[in-house]
Amino acid sequence: MLELRNLHFAVDGDDGPEGGEKREIIRGINFTFEKGKFYAITGPNGSGKTTLAKLIMGINPASSGSILFDGQDITNLSITDRAKAGIAYSFQHPARFKGITFRELLNLATGIEEEEQLVSLLMRVGICPLDFLDKIVDAKLSGGEIKKIELATTIARNPKLAIYDEPDTGIDLWTIGPMVDLLKREQKNYGTTTIVVSHNKVFLEAADEILIINGGRIVFKGVLGEAMNLLNDMSICNFKSCCEGDDQNARCFR
Amino acid sequence: MLDALDKELLKAVADLEDIPKGAYNIRKNGKLLTRANSANISIDSNADGTGIVVAIAPGTVNESVHIPVILSQAGLYDVVYNSFLIGENADVTIVAGCGIHCGTESPEGHAGIHEFRVGRGARVKYVEKHYAAGKGSGKRSLNPTTKVFLEEGAQVEMELTQIGGVDEADRLNEATLEASSMLMIMERVLTEKGQTAISRNDIKLAGTDSRANMISRSVIKGDSKQNFYATIEALAKCFGHIECDAIIMDNGTNETIPALKAMHPDAELTHEASIGKIANEQLMKLMSLGLSYDDAVNRIIQGFLK
Ligand SMILES: Nc1ncnc2c1ncn2[C@@H]1O[C@H](COP(=O)(O)OP(=O)(O)OP(=O)(O)O)[C@@H](O)[C@H]1O
Ligand SMILES: [Mg+2]
Repeated sequence: MLELRNLHFAVDGDDGPEGGEKREIIRGINFTFEKGKFYAITGPNGSGKTTLAKLIMGINPASSGSILFDGQDITNLSITDRAKAGIAYSFQHPARFKGITFRELLNLATGIEEEEQLVSLLMRVGICPLDFLDKIVDAKLSGGEIKKIELATTIARNPKLAIYDEPDTGIDLWTIGPMVDLLKREQKNYGTTTIVVSHNKVFLEAADEILIINGGRIVFKGVLGEAMNLLNDMSICNFKSCCEGDDQNARCFR
Repeated sequence: MLDALDKELLKAVADLEDIPKGAYNIRKNGKLLTRANSANISIDSNADGTGIVVAIAPGTVNESVHIPVILSQAGLYDVVYNSFLIGENADVTIVAGCGIHCGTESPEGHAGIHEFRVGRGARVKYVEKHYAAGKGSGKRSLNPTTKVFLEEGAQVEMELTQIGGVDEADRLNEATLEASSMLMIMERVLTEKGQTAISRNDIKLAGTDSRANMISRSVIKGDSKQNFYATIEALAKCFGHIECDAIIMDNGTNETIPALKAMHPDAELTHEASIGKIANEQLMKLMSLGLSYDDAVNRIIQGFLK
């Protein structure tokens, strides 16, 4: 239902000696997501997961390659048109607004104004208390609260394809389980194609298929059992500055 | 007594469909149109006939006063001096505001100089809206001044709004706060085309445990210009905060200068100021909910000015 064909995304890099150089963040991704399946995308920090999600939503423009959604080429569609086509994205770092309440966001997402229908929508989402409705979605919300609201606005769209970018950051221990159940339930009841970007094992376990991204490429696709070796192997050194010697003869002082 | 145009202006500035209940004074084209007192609130012309004196008896609760001004006479610049004497422990709402309809190329304007003396323990909510409309090209200007004196334990909440149509505005707010009194000012101004708006605010925290909070939200569209100046001066142990946010669109320009002066070691003064475009992430979020770019912009502005 979603096909990525040789997708690239580059940005202007820091000005090198020869002037601005392009820096490739997504380096040729080919993959087809199938309707109604649950995917987990994982990979090290900075590997390009959010960049890829934003390419699918239309927030980042593809540098080359194409994106097909339900057979239609959407590579050049705006964010608005992709949303209308049935794609929804939960931001890793949700926007905050002065003077816009959760109720108003839900209303914008769905067109629903009636209290009863809004309440039943919240019941379906399950992780947002009713008194969230009239909270202003501004900087005063806690990190976990805003992530719950972000997830609710995505589900409220009734999307064909839902992408959740690290939905569990800041979420308390008692909500993570119900959140996984909720996304599985949405997948089952509405046939929602689901992509969760996460570092959390519970989402990897819930997924039908796992993609591992590293350096802007897909380095693994398959089931969790097969991914385990690679995941363990990829424990990445973040302490290069304490190394002595060059790459081959390096010595670790951690 | 009110024609359709009067009603439109009254609706815009005072949310009134018709003559209000309770005490009111409606001024039209520089003259008194109609007035009513209530048992606890009296409105009289002042000694030199340049405005009104609104006296609210001590202990008056849950009452409101409406004193809108409407202007539709070409070439008129109406200046008015109003005083408000609010008795101890009263709790009232005062709705002011000025609506201008400009039908010709001659300028029209209004300057309302409002002085408030708020008695001990009294609470006042003051709502003032400014609005101008009409097909005429004449310049519409509104230059209001409010001077507020809060006695011990008084509380004043001011909502000052100017959304659309006013070509030139130069506002001055002055306040002096005695012990344990509290002032909250919320100002919202939207300008567009070649309009200019200046807001100057001088707040003096004179009494122990007085508190002031000044919030300003500006949206500057087109080629318009807004300047915001606010000074809080602390002469006692007190708390003061200024928060000013400006959203710039198109070629708008803005100058924001918050100033804090502590003349007492226990003064606690803070300010936050920001000027910038609408945040991209806000636009992206609303567009990902299916809104067009323009609808997303409008929705963000509407929330910001709410
Ligand atoms: N618009 C941009 N301009 C410049 N650099 C960018 C841009 N977008 C992303 N990057 C860079 O691309 C890399 C990948 O970023 P991305 O946010 O996709 O990582 P991620 O895999 O989601 O990481 P995390 O697990 O930390 O969320 C980072 O180094 C980031 O700084
Ligand atoms: Mg990310």
